[in-house]
Amino acid sequence: MTDLLRAENLNRQFGGIKAVNDCSITVQKGSITGLIGPNGSGKTTLFNLITGVYKPNSGDIYLNQKKITGVPASQLCHLGLSRTFQITRLFWNLRVLENMIVPVRHVGIRSLFGPGVLRNEEERAIALLKRVGLDHMKDEPARKLSFGQQKLLEFAAVLMSNPDIVLLDEPAGGVNPTMIRFIMDLIRSLNKEGVTFLVVEHNMSMVMELCDHVLVLDTGEKIAEGPPHIIQSDPVVLEAYLGE
Amino acid sequence: MGRILRWWPFVALIALLIFPWVYREPYYHVLGFNVLLLATMAVSWNILGGYAGYTSLGHAAFFGLGAYLVAIAANELGWNPLWSAPLLALVVMVVALGLGWIMLRTSGAAFVIASIAMLLIFRLLTLNLRGITKGAPGLSQPLPPWSPEFSRMPFYYYMLFWLIIVLLVSAYIRRSRFGLGLLAIRDDEGKAEMVGVNTTLYKVLAFGISAYFVGVAGGIWSYHATHISPIFAFDLIIGVEMILVTMLGGLGMLWGPVLGAFIYVPATDLILFQFGSSTIHLVILGGLMVLILLFLPQGILPTISNWLDERRTPRAAHTGARTMAEMYDADKPAPALEATGAAESGSTIITSQER
Repeated sequence: MTDLLRAENLNRQFGGIKAVNDCSITVQKGSITGLIGPNGSGKTTLFNLITGVYKPNSGDIYLNQKKITGVPASQLCHLGLSRTFQITRLFWNLRVLENMIVPVRHVGIRSLFGPGVLRNEEERAIALLKRVGLDHMKDEPARKLSFGQQKLLEFAAVLMSNPDIVLLDEPAGGVNPTMIRFIMDLIRSLNKEGVTFLVVEHNMSMVMELCDHVLVLDTGEKIAEGPPHIIQSDPVVLEAYLGE
Repeated sequence: MGRILRWWPFVALIALLIFPWVYREPYYHVLGFNVLLLATMAVSWNILGGYAGYTSLGHAAFFGLGAYLVAIAANELGWNPLWSAPLLALVVMVVALGLGWIMLRTSGAAFVIASIAMLLIFRLLTLNLRGITKGAPGLSQPLPPWSPEFSRMPFYYYMLFWLIIVLLVSAYIRRSRFGLGLLAIRDDEGKAEMVGVNTTLYKVLAFGISAYFVGVAGGIWSYHATHISPIFAFDLIIGVEMILVTMLGGLGMLWGPVLGAFIYVPATDLILFQFGSSTIHLVILGGLMVLILLFLPQGILPTISNWLDERRTPRAAHTGARTMAEMYDADKPAPALEATGAAESGSTIITSQER
């Protein structure tokens, strides 16, 4: 296995606070890697650094051995890296199908003035919507979906750009247990098809069951990494979560 | 119902084509011209303001620029405004693309203010570059060669032609990938950027296109008015009217600005007729606008279409209620409650892999 995503000695400060402090992580190609840590440990900041929302104060990020530090967010998805948001973000007034089409990679003026929804794209979008059980709602505006359906739509839309790696920010946040099962199965089956995942999640049983490698952050630093069963009993991790 | 919806643009077009022959007084031709002028500009404004959600209050800058370019070209080079207006509007568009590239780094209220500043800068330049613009007194240009009796009719038809063109462009954009990107920007620009939409390119392009037709309209207006001056060519009210009629008819909808203009301009005229040419019509229109914002905040067309939607499918929301059980196994629908129970016990759940 090779590393698909690698961050080296990342630093990011907000005022005097070191949100991410000399953090190095690697995500193996084909893995489902978990990123956990107590609240405020820098998980989302790390996500934002990797996805180009923030620029790191120092350190570098590599995707497929290619340096992507400072590459703007709009370019990253064309390089095979996509993400979802902790609080679901959709194009609320666009139809469900249109929400799927916006992330399709489009290059050049010609495609810009081509039709909004191409036939083959629509077929692919509907196949993905079927997979998350939303195909019957393709013509509804996204704002009419329920909370869980919104999460599923965001997830499905991310897949339209054929990403190599998907960063999921709390895919199970605020979702009922049945839906969590469903999302886990979805992640697993996509992973079997070759998509790598980096997952931030607070639901420990989900992380332990789903991930094959877990990274633990605390106060902006990586304090542990390894397979779930080892992380679970690591005294450093337990201390970070429970205090002394 | 559907058939009427499909054919009404053609019916409206025929009505507009015969209108000047039914109402033969020049007054009606001028009124018609003013309606079509504002409709054209508002449809154009809507491409940026309605689709992309960037409210420009300064589009009168492109109106005035188009007007002055056409007048100067008519005087200095003897160019006929009827063909120089669309040509010189390309210059307006290039200027807009450059300015848009700078201004569209801002958004929200900051962009609104930047757009007003742009208009004021244009007006100041026109007032002070006396060598080219003749300053505050303004510019005159040759009268059209048509017989005085029907001198307004060609303007009416020419403006109608441009309204059709801008409507076709707007409809085309609405259906293109470009338009989809603009609508995505309106809903959530950060997310659009994140999923790979080159938001800067989209916004600047929309700005340029929406400036083009306003520039054309300004050029035609310049020929129609014969005499133009900075105060009237670069009038903030022109930009405000584009927004008002768009919001009245329906922001971001193809026909919204047209409907708005067809209501607003005759209403203004009627009020002017009743109260004489004071500025009282602005007060009355301001009051009307407040009422519309209070009771029809989405504009006329969206309100009607929502109302029709609700009548057609009384409870549209039920389509969303497919249970998780169905999502798991569509062939064997199980009651939602049972599926939830199974998930909690964590044993009998059918996963998608097993299937």
